[in-house]
Amino acid sequence: MSIDDTTKTKGNDMSLQNNMHPVQGQSSRWKRARIILPIAILLAICTAATAYFPKSAKVVRKANSGASALRQNVALPASVTATDPGPRPLPADAGGFLKSLSANEQQIEPSITTEFNRVHDVVVTSPTDGGLGPRFNSNSCSSCHAYPAAGGSSPPNNPLFSVYNYNGASNTMPFFETSTGPILEGRFINQPGTTIPDGTVHQLFTITGRSDATGCNISQPDFSTAASQNNLVLRQVSPTYGDGLIEVVRNSDIVTNMNANLPKKASLGITGHPNYSGNDGSIMRFGWKAQVRSTLLMSANQMNVEMGVTNDVFPNEIDQTPGCVINPVPETVTNFTPGILTEFFPGDYSRTEYYIQWLTPPTPATSTSSTKNGKTQFTNAGCVYCHTTSFKTPATSRPALGNATINLYSDLLVHHMGPGLADGLPQGQAGPDEFRTAPLWGIGQRLWFMHDGRTNNIVTAIEDHYSLSNTTYPASEANQAVTNFNNLSSKNQQDLVNFLRSL
Amino acid sequence: MYKSDDSQVQNNSGTNSRRRVPYLVALALLLVGSLAALMSRPAVVHGSGGSCPVLPCPTATDPGPRPLPAAAGNFYSTLTTNQNSITTRLTQIFTEVNFVAGGPLVKTVGLGPRFNSNSCSSCHAYPAVGGSSPPNNPLFAIYQLEGATNSMPYFVSATGPVKVARFPYKSDLVTPDGGVHQMFTISNRTDAPGCTTMVQPDFTTAEADNNIIFRQTTPTYGAGLVELIQESAIIANMNSNLTTKASLGITGHPNYSDDDGTITRFGWKAQNKSLVYFSGEAYTVEEGVSDEAFPSENDESIPSCLPPFPVPPGTNKTKGVPDDRNDTGEAPKLPVNFPGDLERFALFMRFLAPPVPVPPTQSTTNGLTQFINVGCVMCHTQSFTTPAASIPSLSNQTANLYSDLLVHDMGAGDADNVSQGNATGDQFRTAPLWGIGQRYFFMHDGRETNIVNAIEDHYNLGNGVYPNSEANQVIQNFNNLSSGNQQDLVNFLRSL
Repeated sequence: MSIDDTTKTKGNDMSLQNNMHPVQGQSSRWKRARIILPIAILLAICTAATAYFPKSAKVVRKANSGASALRQNVALPASVTATDPGPRPLPADAGGFLKSLSANEQQIEPSITTEFNRVHDVVVTSPTDGGLGPRFNSNSCSSCHAYPAAGGSSPPNNPLFSVYNYNGASNTMPFFETSTGPILEGRFINQPGTTIPDGTVHQLFTITGRSDATGCNISQPDFSTAASQNNLVLRQVSPTYGDGLIEVVRNSDIVTNMNANLPKKASLGITGHPNYSGNDGSIMRFGWKAQVRSTLLMSANQMNVEMGVTNDVFPNEIDQTPGCVINPVPETVTNFTPGILTEFFPGDYSRTEYYIQWLTPPTPATSTSSTKNGKTQFTNAGCVYCHTTSFKTPATSRPALGNATINLYSDLLVHHMGPGLADGLPQGQAGPDEFRTAPLWGIGQRLWFMHDGRTNNIVTAIEDHYSLSNTTYPASEANQAVTNFNNLSSKNQQDLVNFLRSL
Repeated sequence: MYKSDDSQVQNNSGTNSRRRVPYLVALALLLVGSLAALMSRPAVVHGSGGSCPVLPCPTATDPGPRPLPAAAGNFYSTLTTNQNSITTRLTQIFTEVNFVAGGPLVKTVGLGPRFNSNSCSSCHAYPAVGGSSPPNNPLFAIYQLEGATNSMPYFVSATGPVKVARFPYKSDLVTPDGGVHQMFTISNRTDAPGCTTMVQPDFTTAEADNNIIFRQTTPTYGAGLVELIQESAIIANMNSNLTTKASLGITGHPNYSDDDGTITRFGWKAQNKSLVYFSGEAYTVEEGVSDEAFPSENDESIPSCLPPFPVPPGTNKTKGVPDDRNDTGEAPKLPVNFPGDLERFALFMRFLAPPVPVPPTQSTTNGLTQFINVGCVMCHTQSFTTPAASIPSLSNQTANLYSDLLVHDMGAGDADNVSQGNATGDQFRTAPLWGIGQRYFFMHDGRETNIVNAIEDHYNLGNGVYPNSEANQVIQNFNNLSSGNQQDLVNFLRSL
């Protein structure tokens, strides 16, 4: 909590300075601008042009130049009177599988649930068990994807405190984890001590000292040094409810929505673009920077990145120090026992894939006159131009996922969010200051907000969307919308917040 | 060579600020030089005589591909009984022909709307299923199947390699593209009722704009071993023999996965992490069969060309995306098709043993020595050992793949202007050489059928955009070999 506040303040300080000394800095700034401007223009063109269809790319480019100019001049009114009613209490309005799954799909619900909840130890004792480490963030999917029900995000009490020393592990707790804070993972912008881009997750813990990992002796990453060098990026856990619906939304629908309401978006300073998969050219949509394409790739990637469990998609251990590669690879294996054509045939990653693919979206609270007006204000202020109310899924081969209207409140695009939120880490076509519009479904019961979980107050989270430009990054695309929110009457502000907490 | 070229460029920019005339002359020289370098794609050399990129021209001749029977394509003899019990089914899936809808089996639907072929094994064909391009291009039997109204792109020839087209840039010729543009569409196929208006890409205009590049089919034998080679082994090998490598101008670096930060290793630019990943991608990119890794149709612009198609009741339909998925079964408690095709493709390739080289002769034994002496081996690393693996056939095996699994600058003549991950527009993965003894086409775009030409094609000068090929000194060394040693080296390659 405390470190997150510091980070945020820093970002705002920088913006403030830019604002307060416009003349002093001018000549040196002009010099810099002469270098930076052409690069920035090129970048802007490239960014805009990454749009899949050449026609739409042109439209966006036009909107972009007008929009970013507009964003610079937005001044934020100070008065915010709304208060966060806090997360809706349990029972969970999320979790559980889609009701419309077929009988045959339903018959494997128990085994996929077991898989998602499985606690992995180091030694592989069956085709499904074990495989933890050598480096890991946690030992079970459900330890972090926990709240308000399995599949969700960080619970009120940080579960890592019961994981890090488990079974004799000699880990110390990194400084940024707190017992009542969000679960955070660390990424390094550059490889430690170099200017070579890194960007990967550096797992919090190692299996060193665990009784089931004798002979392994590796140390945890040096997070303190990384933080002191501004090389540490933190990301919190994303919920997975409804992911099976998100992954089948058509690319063309995402692009159509991107190109809708362009005058309005331009007037608000909103652009945004997809993060495209280099593999098949489709739009990626999971993760804080929309850097993952599908539930299959997400679950396989997370198996190795978060738990160190190698699998058929990511079969190489992340750290191969002798003595620390305890099991044959990959560790979660295709099960070749006779009668193989069962749900146990594929590796664990397929079962976790189905788990997150089949979870039903969160159910919003019954609407009230306040939340109804709040939704209107959400539209009026302009929130809705990134937090797109809904998409419709196409016909699908798994009928439970098809032809459904999904109220995710996201355009599945990435947007410039200003220096205050920028984490310095590009992923695919998402720049260092760009983030995916976080889907808002389920935030009524969410405990932490923003990519790094910096706040537990939803009003603060709204304000965190506001950030003026600095010499490195353009202003946040949300500046005008946040300004509009702040300009709302007290009642309308509160209704909007109540609406969010109803989701 | 490498050095003098660099300094030439530097000199040019140095004179730039002083006087105008030398500057213009230098600029003109640079331009001419760059153009020459751009066009320095080695001329066709047929053994002795002819031109070649660097003198003396080689005298060796290509004995040609070893004839069938195939020395590749078998599954590991060490598979367990349980693994063996599914190989027949895996082969069926790898060789299945996909229809748009209404195919003979529930698993054989989902082709298109855009595609390069309708089956894995049509392209991964030679010298046995799982390999690369056969001598006769299979696409001619496919492109107008079921009434499709495709025309054959200009670059596909009946006896040429199967290759896919990518456009380096979008139609503005500025914005990077790099994606595969499938040759064919399902328009007017009888199994795609209603889809009539999807047109093929305009390859001719792309060619006129110099905006088209090609990639041929890579073989998959032994890929299960390649997948498991440890990062630490790849890095250790990269950092070995640094003095020799430096003297040859060889560097190279891995291409990394954005997902888990590990080294990617499949594909012409080592852009692909694993066989599951590769299968999932190829299924939707090459055949248009969307799957659970990549669940989008590859063109969503024409609704009547998207599933579900109105096929007669009782025939097999695509219900929607993804076209192929793990199937929990149509009847209660019969999850017969649970693993999707992409997992089965991956298993098929994982179970394929590496090609078997011919027994060494005096000539090929000396050829290996020359291969090492001239420096080929500094990129085409002879072997890696796999770690302990959960599939016993893949465990602690020596894989004689002749690749360092790194990407290297290959100069302007090979550059295709497509960057993928950490591989830039002129960088390519060191192609594994196992199995090239029976290979028909060489280089990423299948430009050569003659293995001597393929060697020479590694020699490329840089231009204003790309540095020299890292292979230049090695090719110079090869050309400097005696005729006998050259021929032995070539014979060695054809023994693999």
